[in-house]
Amino acid sequence: MGIVQRKDLSLAERLYLPEVVRGLSITFRKMFEKPMTRQYPEEPLPKTEVTRGQPRLVVKDDGNVACVSCGMCEAACPAYAITIDGGETERPIEREPVRFEIDMLRCILCGFCEEACPKDAIFMSDELELADSSRGALVYDLEMLKRPKAALQKRIDYVYRLNQRWRKSSSTS
Amino acid sequence: MAEILFYVLSAVALLGALGVILARSPMGSVLSLLGSFFALAVIYLLAGFQFLAAAQILVYAGAVLVLFLFVIMLLNLGQLGTRFQLSLAPLAGPRARLAVTVAVALGLVGLIVAQGAAFGAPPPVGDAGLDPLPELALGLFGRYSLPFQAISLLLLATMVAVVVLAKRQRKEDGR
Amino acid sequence: MEALLIAVAKVVVIFAGMVTIAGLMSLAERKVSAWMQYRHGPNRVGPFGILQPLADGLKFIFKEELVPEGANRLMFRLAPALAAMPAMLTMAVIPVGGTVVIAGREIPLSMTDIDIGVLFLLSMSGLSVYGVILGGWASNSKYSLLGGLRASAQMISYELTLILTILAVVLLSGSLDLRAIVAAQQHVGQWNIWYQPLAFVLFTITMFAETNRHPFDFAECEPELVGGFHTEYSSMRFALYFLGEYCAMTVLSCLAATLFLGGPSVPFWPAAPWYVGVLSLLAKAGFFLYLFLWVRWTLPRLRFDQLMRLGWKVFLPLALLNLLATGAVVAFTHGAQ
Repeated sequence: MGIVQRKDLSLAERLYLPEVVRGLSITFRKMFEKPMTRQYPEEPLPKTEVTRGQPRLVVKDDGNVACVSCGMCEAACPAYAITIDGGETERPIEREPVRFEIDMLRCILCGFCEEACPKDAIFMSDELELADSSRGALVYDLEMLKRPKAALQKRIDYVYRLNQRWRKSSSTS
Repeated sequence: MAEILFYVLSAVALLGALGVILARSPMGSVLSLLGSFFALAVIYLLAGFQFLAAAQILVYAGAVLVLFLFVIMLLNLGQLGTRFQLSLAPLAGPRARLAVTVAVALGLVGLIVAQGAAFGAPPPVGDAGLDPLPELALGLFGRYSLPFQAISLLLLATMVAVVVLAKRQRKEDGR
Repeated sequence: MEALLIAVAKVVVIFAGMVTIAGLMSLAERKVSAWMQYRHGPNRVGPFGILQPLADGLKFIFKEELVPEGANRLMFRLAPALAAMPAMLTMAVIPVGGTVVIAGREIPLSMTDIDIGVLFLLSMSGLSVYGVILGGWASNSKYSLLGGLRASAQMISYELTLILTILAVVLLSGSLDLRAIVAAQQHVGQWNIWYQPLAFVLFTITMFAETNRHPFDFAECEPELVGGFHTEYSSMRFALYFLGEYCAMTVLSCLAATLFLGGPSVPFWPAAPWYVGVLSLLAKAGFFLYLFLWVRWTLPRLRFDQLMRLGWKVFLPLALLNLLATGAVVAFTHGAQ
């Protein structure tokens, strides 16, 4: 806490007009400076590796989704946005999702599903834009959620690096 | 054409003047007065007195009435609401009759004073459409300066009378 | 018949020009504010957002129109028109240029030339307060009423200064005719700004108070009064208030240019063709219009008591002294002749 020293105003300051002119000159100079705002749709936001966008399902290199429809993400979801119906498959993993829906209107982009997934099947992509003219169109089904692994690789690497420290501490204890 | 316009405007001016007295809300009174002033200003224009018309609007409509409005808005008029209605009540009571009598008497006195002080014939009116502005100024501050002062005295007397009337009424209401 | 056609053409051209300028001002206001705050401003509708005023106008037309309960419907509907009309009428007497010769006819470039142009202008600007007061009163809302009250007090106070400063100029020129005032300052050296610097400064500041613009916009002071006198207005009636405000700004800017900067006369080029004269007036008025925006985005709003103190204790005595001095000088110099 400082003590505010009351400054005696000079005559020019009390006349007010010189000060007005000073203020005007400042705003005039600022007029020609480069705008700081972003023209959003034309200049998209920069996406870094920590960008946490909407959840997407990983499609492995063999063309199948990594998801085994265990329901962990469904249970972890605080907004009840995920609905999964599982089915059998001939592949060694025996189960795969028949229906996998995320209601993007309910999704709060918290990333719990990503943490909960035991099979590295769901990751937060860098896709941020979400707009449509009907509610139904914003309930994304399995086909709309599928992304090739390469598209999500940046996030996958980041999550692995983030989880590294837990792995180390668990091995020492 | 001009004649018809004159009669229409006169009717508007008179109706406005009536509205001033008969309107129930003071706001209605002020607006009627405004209409009356405007009609008068246009009549002046018709008669070729541009300066008078402009002065009428500038002084009365632009300044005096705005002051009235200001005062009316400062008063507490909640009970009267915002609707315009006419009422004949102000013409009834004895005090109103007294006020009307006093006003008429004062007006007559003023007329007589003005007439008596105006030495000789009325000033020559310039050509229609032309504005005898210097003539007006010279007349106002030179030849007719006495009636000019007399009118200001009359206005002062009116003001005092209004204050006295309004004050007495307030005291009765307070009791 | 021909004279009537010419008159109608003049009215249409000048009126359309003024409304266009008013519309562009609404865009300029947002653009300038954006530039001063490191932003882009509206730039979606048309190149550089030039069609934004048109889009706004369309939007206003399609908006729902509301009349608050308990409002005086007649006055509520009439008030916006009363606010916009005087400003537009005032433009009638401002000479926007010299005379044009079209098809052998000499046409003076102003809607009308009346001998008492200045008086007409002052009386019209005195009327502009009615739209604000009546709008505020008829809305039956406390914020609107307070806004209207403030507006009336402010406009009465500052109109005195405005009139007194204009009177000083009128004294110098010896005429109430705006064309004569322009004719008296054909050269840069004759501009009234050199002879009446104090009146010029006072006029410029008073202009802001008369149009209810920042830093004197107490009638619509947002943090205290929501929207002030137009709180309850919506749709085109709301837009009409703003049209009136921008028109008043345009007219006062033109007036300032006419009274102090020689109007449509072109500096250092006395024989300029008429369109250069019109452009010259537009440029001079444009400076004042820009000043309105510039000051708005620079200075904070005053307090109401400060405004009143400034008006009555500073500006009025200064303007009176200025008028007295001018009168004395004119009387002595003319008396010598």
